[in-house]
Amino acid sequence: MFKLSVLAKAALAATLMSSAAYAEETVVWWDFLGGGDGVRMKQMIADFNEAHKGEITIDATTLEWGVPFYTKVQTAVPVGEAPDIMTYHASRIPLAVDQNLLSEITADDWSKMGLSESDYATATWDAVTIDGKQYAVPLDTHPIVLYYNKDLLAAAGRLNDDGTPMGMDSREGFTETLQALKDSGSVKFPLGSVTADGNFMFRTIYSLMGQQDGELMTDGEFLAGDNAEKLQNSLAVLAEWTEAGLQSTYTDYPATVALFTSGEAAMMINGVWEVPTMTDLHKDGKLFEWGAVELPVIFDHPSTYADSHAFAIPAGDMTAAKRDAVLEVMSWISKNSLFWATAGHIPAYGPVTASAEYKAMEPNATYSPLTENMIFDPKSTLAGIAGPIFDVMSTYFVPTLNGEMDPAEAVEEIKIELNDL
Amino acid sequence: MIRDAKKEWLIAFVLLTPFLAVYGLTFVYPTIDMFLLSFTDAPLIGEGDYVGLENYTRLGSDRRFDTAIWNTAYFVALSVVPGTAVALGIALGVSRLTGRMQALILALFFLPYILPVSVVYRLWDWTMNFQFGIAMHVFDMLGIDRVPVFKTTTWFMPAVAFITIWWTCGFNILLFLAGLRAIPQEIYEAASLDNAGRWTTFRRVTWPLLWPITALNLTIQLILQMKIFDQVYLFSTGGRPNDNLVMVYYIFQRAFQSNHGGRAAAIAVVLFVIVVAVSILNFQLTRISGSGKR
Repeated sequence: MFKLSVLAKAALAATLMSSAAYAEETVVWWDFLGGGDGVRMKQMIADFNEAHKGEITIDATTLEWGVPFYTKVQTAVPVGEAPDIMTYHASRIPLAVDQNLLSEITADDWSKMGLSESDYATATWDAVTIDGKQYAVPLDTHPIVLYYNKDLLAAAGRLNDDGTPMGMDSREGFTETLQALKDSGSVKFPLGSVTADGNFMFRTIYSLMGQQDGELMTDGEFLAGDNAEKLQNSLAVLAEWTEAGLQSTYTDYPATVALFTSGEAAMMINGVWEVPTMTDLHKDGKLFEWGAVELPVIFDHPSTYADSHAFAIPAGDMTAAKRDAVLEVMSWISKNSLFWATAGHIPAYGPVTASAEYKAMEPNATYSPLTENMIFDPKSTLAGIAGPIFDVMSTYFVPTLNGEMDPAEAVEEIKIELNDL
Repeated sequence: MIRDAKKEWLIAFVLLTPFLAVYGLTFVYPTIDMFLLSFTDAPLIGEGDYVGLENYTRLGSDRRFDTAIWNTAYFVALSVVPGTAVALGIALGVSRLTGRMQALILALFFLPYILPVSVVYRLWDWTMNFQFGIAMHVFDMLGIDRVPVFKTTTWFMPAVAFITIWWTCGFNILLFLAGLRAIPQEIYEAASLDNAGRWTTFRRVTWPLLWPITALNLTIQLILQMKIFDQVYLFSTGGRPNDNLVMVYYIFQRAFQSNHGGRAAAIAVVLFVIVVAVSILNFQLTRISGSGKR
């Protein structure tokens, strides 16, 4: 008994002393990164903790992506149960600011982090800015790309000498590539498309609208002027591919990835976050030769939908020491985001993408020029991951892309519902 | 001993207080607050301005509200009576078995009930997957065209109703079994002495004596299914959410996705009124029809 109490006292003393000596800050962290990129983020967090031993510890929790994450955040922040730092989609920032969920990142904060506007692409910086104030620190941009199976394309005679697919510059050219794949008889579907998930297809369709300079929202009005027609054109292309049996129907997200990785679909339009899946499978010798390129130009010029993962500080009281620790986390991870590129994402911090190491990374280097042609969600409280616009789109995209509904009818309905939100 | 009425009242009150406090705090107060909220334009969290009946009047021209009402009614029609009938049928079958066999079969039917809804969703979502689902291979073998079950409006509600019955009927079976065991054996003996056939025995003995349990089952199911949310929400993800809306889903959309606390509260009030009205109606109907049979 005597021994035990001595031990306890010693332990208590040690704890008191150590906290007095170092004043270690624990930063509570929430993210929604559950896939291959989540594994890499956990590695970065471990590296950070190692580098800041005795000063800052990140206590990280991964929550379910999408609706569950954001519903939790918007109830946790007002009651003071929020974390100290959280990942956030740039597309969700307008709604978050409207709900007073985020703490502004001030000029003082930026200088403490040693980061500035000039370190980011204009579109990316703009995506975290509302009324001239910044509400998050961009970590990456994550566009969608075209994944392709080199072996199957070569067999169908549609692979260029440099290992890229043929017909990437026009609607006719790309349709020809799809047709050639179909005629070769070696695949079930030339293009694996997430046709059962309209939320997901929004990314592709919005990109196609962007290729015609279409806008979803003009001065607060949805699909104003000829934008409705541009949406209809975009839907029509995809509906046509379905009609001709060139893409998979009623396929959900995991099934699409499975179709592509098993070689039953020769190409797939998906987010760059699937790069680690392919890299890891290929490393284990379980995948064919593959590549990823910018989306084909179906209309006038290249354009790709992207969103951005960013770090945000929830609104509420925080000690100065804690805030400094949070700023250090954001700064350190941004500056060390080269490793994050192995998750497929394009780091937002300019000096990283300008580095020689990044330029040597594949397939990132092949698709990273698309950053010039990126478009983000419209800045609206209705936009963004798991937002109301997504639900409306999904409801009409699914029947249209699977040949149940005429594109013109779908656009008509979408317009009514969007302006009804 | 002389009873002190005042003291008894005091004791009763003291004993009741903890319950009343918790009930008031967690049920009565939020309910009143919901009514008040429905007359404001409040966001999900925080105060709003008084807007009168606007949140209610705009429901009249709200397409999503229409969809939600009809889908909820459709789902109730597809699940309440069929679910109760299936449970009764299974209970009648199980009650004919005895001993270990009965326990085993009952356990098999009860098993799905212990699953959480997320597991039920995963099971059926993959079973019905259009590209890889087991059910689709069965369709292929039978020469039927594959059906994208959760992605078309035709099949969505019937499929979700079927899964709900599969998932929850274990509990109803238990209720029915308890009811069946409570019917005295002598009545059946008397019936067989009178040379009553199986059908006549069921119609004249089992059905009327089991009616209170059947009525209970119907009421529980009715209230439960009008509040349907989990399954519809899960199976709709990524599909056609706005075509599959049910009342609680629409409340969720308004409150948590569109940040319209006031408008969500108005829909919740409408649902509340409907549930109360239908429950009373159902209770009266089952009471009247029950007393007529005896």
